[in-house]
Amino acid sequence: MIHVVTPENRHRYTNAMEQAFRLRHQVFVEEKGWTALARPDGREIDAFDDDHALHMLAIQEACVVGYQRMLPTTRPYLLTEVLPDLCEVEPPRSPRVWEWTRYAVARGHRDRGRILSPVGSALLTGIVEWGLESGVEAIVIEMNPLWLLRLVQLHFRVTPLGLPQPISGEDTVAVSAAFDHRTLKRLRETRGAQESVLVARPAGPRRLAS
Amino acid sequence: MDSQRLSLSSIGAGMLPRLVDLTYDLFRSFDRAPTAEALNACLLQAVARIGVESTFAGVIPLPGLPRARQAAHVLIDSTPPGWTEHYFKVGHLERDPTIRRLTSEATPFLWSEIEPLYRADPAARRVMEEAGDFRLRQGFTVPLITLDGRVAGFSFGAERLDASPEVRGMLHLLAAYAFGRSIVLSEGPKRQPVRLTPREREALQWAAAGKTEWEIGEAMAISEHGAEKHLRSVHRKLGAASRTHAVAEALRRGLIT
Repeated sequence: MIHVVTPENRHRYTNAMEQAFRLRHQVFVEEKGWTALARPDGREIDAFDDDHALHMLAIQEACVVGYQRMLPTTRPYLLTEVLPDLCEVEPPRSPRVWEWTRYAVARGHRDRGRILSPVGSALLTGIVEWGLESGVEAIVIEMNPLWLLRLVQLHFRVTPLGLPQPISGEDTVAVSAAFDHRTLKRLRETRGAQESVLVARPAGPRRLAS
Repeated sequence: MDSQRLSLSSIGAGMLPRLVDLTYDLFRSFDRAPTAEALNACLLQAVARIGVESTFAGVIPLPGLPRARQAAHVLIDSTPPGWTEHYFKVGHLERDPTIRRLTSEATPFLWSEIEPLYRADPAARRVMEEAGDFRLRQGFTVPLITLDGRVAGFSFGAERLDASPEVRGMLHLLAAYAFGRSIVLSEGPKRQPVRLTPREREALQWAAAGKTEWEIGEAMAISEHGAEKHLRSVHRKLGAASRTHAVAEALRRGLIT
């Protein structure tokens, strides 16, 4: 199940957020080698982990097995501040568009073979459910172009924001991906489950107004 | 975002549109395409400027699949007539160095870049040389992975290909998007049930076995022209973009075995 963590409910997720920052360190620093993010305490935390960030945690039996962070595009975000070269058009800035960052699935819960893992598809479904409830229509993604085919098959309407470029040795492309109820339907078909993946829901409109 | 409204026809007419804008326009054209065939036509028209003459894409068959069934994995095929039939009939799939490369590494490549990998392999060299005889002298292949984890490939073929880093980036995105939309179109819900006549089914069954129109005519004791007529009708009924696409579609629908 996917838990949405915001400043309003953060106090209930102290331990889980600790695990989430460690999972991020494990995946992005130790596995992907993004050494600039390394921290001696083994928790990957950056300047964007402020009160405007929204964290989504996949929790199984009190363990954080998946994570992703959503950032509003109405404020400075990764694409505009850290990876501006990937964006050749005017970067999206809208309360209806959020940036999807730090997608991470714990080892042992990864894609079996190359299939989108159950945890991965639950996280993606979490974004779409949350978005449809909160008036969010699209996400900005900096990703390996291999994701593009999956997104199209899942009925995301993708807009390129630039052409692929190598970032830390890996081809990376910035896109915005719009979704609607058909995307959710497709994700649920793919997961073979109809019920919502979200457990804790913040008051969406209030967050967007801030 | 007026820059995103540039039309494809303005390429080469003085000011060049940026490739990212061209890519955007093509994504939206792909969204509107009613069939995989229409989508591919739109793609070919746009990339003709950089030398691309044909496209070929499909899921890679698992090793050991009989040759007659391999062609059913083709989703998009606009290679010159005769090439695909020949390719599967003589078993090139197992020797094709581009297939070997794309199943081992997920980054796109120019065919010229993998020449060192097969220089010492006469069978692989023969595949590439024969491809050259079909105006597939140069090419660019994009490895893909479908939602259900199958490895697929999308190739652009040319006599001479302009392959600057920007063009490669654009082809990379176009391949993934075109392939995804073609899959979505092929599994569309508004698909009408298709009925083939016994003769059409028979002709298609022979085509699935790799027979030429002349051979099908012989087998069915009709003229080559008669065989062609049956197959054309099958293409129309199935909305197929090519012979291989028709066979694939008929297998998927259980019309032939």
